[in-house]
Amino acid sequence: MRILLSALVVLSLCATAPVRAHHAFAAEFDAKKPIKLEGTVTKVEWINPHAWIHIDVKRSDGTVEKWMIEGGTPNTLFRRGVNKNSLPAGTVIIVDGYQAKDGTLKGNGRDITFPDGRKLFIGSTGTGAPGDPQQPPPK
Amino acid sequence: MAIFEKRPSRALASAVVLAALATATIAGQSRPSGTRAMPRTPWGDPDLQGVWSIATITPFERPGALAGKQVLTEEEAAELEKTNLTTNNQDRRDGAGTDADVARAYNDFWWDRGTKVASTRQTSLVVDPPDGRVPGLTPEGQQRAAARAARGYDSWEDRSLWERCITRGLPMIPGPYNNNYQILQTPGYVVILHEMIHDARIIPLGGQPHVGQNIRQWFGDSRGRWEGETLVVDTTNFSEKANYRGSTDRLHLIERFTRVNADTVKYEFTIDDPTTFTRKWTASIPMSHTDEQIYEYACHEGNYGMVNLLSGARVQEKAADGK
Amino acid sequence: MRPRLRLAIVAAGAAIGLAVLSFAVMPTAGQAPAGGQAPAGYKASRSPFKDGKPDLNGIWQANNTANWDIQGHAARQGPILELGAAFSVPAGLGVVEGDEIPYQPWAAAKKKENAANWLKLDPEIKCYMPGVPRATYMPYPFQIVQTPTHVLMAYEFASASRTIYMNSKDESPADTWMGWSRGRWEGDTLVVEVNAFNGETWFDRAGNFHSDALRVVERFTPVSRDVLQYDVTIEDPKVFTRPWKMSMPLYRRIEKNAQLLEYKCVEFVEELMYGHLRKKTK
Repeated sequence: MRILLSALVVLSLCATAPVRAHHAFAAEFDAKKPIKLEGTVTKVEWINPHAWIHIDVKRSDGTVEKWMIEGGTPNTLFRRGVNKNSLPAGTVIIVDGYQAKDGTLKGNGRDITFPDGRKLFIGSTGTGAPGDPQQPPPK
Repeated sequence: MAIFEKRPSRALASAVVLAALATATIAGQSRPSGTRAMPRTPWGDPDLQGVWSIATITPFERPGALAGKQVLTEEEAAELEKTNLTTNNQDRRDGAGTDADVARAYNDFWWDRGTKVASTRQTSLVVDPPDGRVPGLTPEGQQRAAARAARGYDSWEDRSLWERCITRGLPMIPGPYNNNYQILQTPGYVVILHEMIHDARIIPLGGQPHVGQNIRQWFGDSRGRWEGETLVVDTTNFSEKANYRGSTDRLHLIERFTRVNADTVKYEFTIDDPTTFTRKWTASIPMSHTDEQIYEYACHEGNYGMVNLLSGARVQEKAADGK
Repeated sequence: MRPRLRLAIVAAGAAIGLAVLSFAVMPTAGQAPAGGQAPAGYKASRSPFKDGKPDLNGIWQANNTANWDIQGHAARQGPILELGAAFSVPAGLGVVEGDEIPYQPWAAAKKKENAANWLKLDPEIKCYMPGVPRATYMPYPFQIVQTPTHVLMAYEFASASRTIYMNSKDESPADTWMGWSRGRWEGDTLVVEVNAFNGETWFDRAGNFHSDALRVVERFTPVSRDVLQYDVTIEDPKVFTRPWKMSMPLYRRIEKNAQLLEYKCVEFVEELMYGHLRKKTK
């Protein structure tokens, strides 16, 4: 039974996604160009299906690079109580992601956290923290 | 009651009627418990109003491992929901540095894939044919599918309607986010607001004929009618560009909406397109009531993704040409 | 005199009197009634939701040249030579009360710059959502679907729409193209307050613009079976020196089987916006 259900889960992973990838992330961002940036938020564009977080990244030589980081659907976050005041300008975030294939200062926000390791918007997932969407129902 | 002892004044009678209707209206718009009668609008139509989510982890087609099985047991459903939390969690970073990791795209908090199977515990959303799989394509349909698969990144026309921010179209299918729809009703219209990509689908109920054959639309042309408790929506006049799983302008879509209890509307759609599919087929998707609301979905207004896709492809071509 | 005849004469007299009264308060043809006052005696039919509110359901459309230029203007040459008289700017009396838009000095200069660079800067050209109030007076029909808790206005242009939350104190989580609308009834007038704009939309093709501080108050009043009076107050302390108003009638599309059709213009502007990124065929 366990094997059957694992198979079901694997197959359901494939089957729930539309027949063609809804968005070719791999066409926009380069798996061979990983980035890890610490930056200060200057602006957030709350648009769909991808929010864009603009950050200023200070390089070791003192220059400031202006990066745009692609996020997911902000409407999902709005339904979890997040709003434009949740990520005000001046907030410092860490972005672990991949750079745009065209070499511009754009990246996808594969994993966005605060400097202390907490995930952006929601606390760490999977631990049952308040607001954790992955919190399993109490037994 | 005393007021009926003598001929009631017109004003008093109106007040009584108004009060009764007001109560009925309030009852009609509240969420009654499952044991009460189905809610009705003040003019007597079944009430489908509210915000509904179609997020579900039930797969669209029945996986091969479950061939012949129409329904999961309660234990199997619970097990699936539990395993899904880890396997579908987008925070997993196995395969960092691969296209697969890039494709998972973002942290789990951005997604809304659903955490539950359909309340019916059906093993697939496709319910007809009985094997729970979309029927095969006609030879024509296969040719068109092959041509589509061969397209790359030369132009925006090679990309999906979603990447182009044109529309998600019909029918309504669960996806990884924005699974929310709002239904509003008046005597002459049922309106379904699609959050993604901000479409207000207005369905007339007055028996008007379909528009002329030369008018083709992304959402086709819909006409609705009540059959008992079910809203039946008939849609024709699709543009050939609407392309649902390869469908052409011959697509005839029939949808049925039935409120089965306070928290659920059963949504069933039948695809009838003999130029694409070898037979008609039907899917059944439960819509679950939610207290959330629809938000603006500005897509085209900030479609950096399209710019990135195309410029990324051009840069790669240049590099490949060794320039 | 026989009682029935007397009654008939009295009734006739009353009817004539009432008619005279109605004519007396009917606005002069061509002049918008000020302040959204319905002619005395007009009462719209009631909503099928039996909440006692007027029924604004239907398909409506403005019939003026406000989308070209909300101020009074003569006809002038359009921007595309080849389109000649088919796409030059028609004249209009204007819909702005007092015909003056009270820009702050910097903003007046910006408006001129917008007008001079219209093709590059007007968001309408790129099929972006038009915002409020522009969506109301673009030359396309829109449909009102009215329930006690939500009033939907669905526009043909770009399939834009907005939902007016009735008697709500909810706030928008973020700034938007179409704003966040909250409504209430004042008598038979639907009053809508709209805020949470992102500042990216214009008021017309003449470069009239606003910032993200824009606040709009609209009043929709049924003045006859097929006409709504539409009055809008514009407030934006970042751009204007004081609030100002626009006013116009909205006409019901009375054709049998009238319906909105699609104007999904994204595919009409892709070449314009992405053409430079298309793969060049050798």
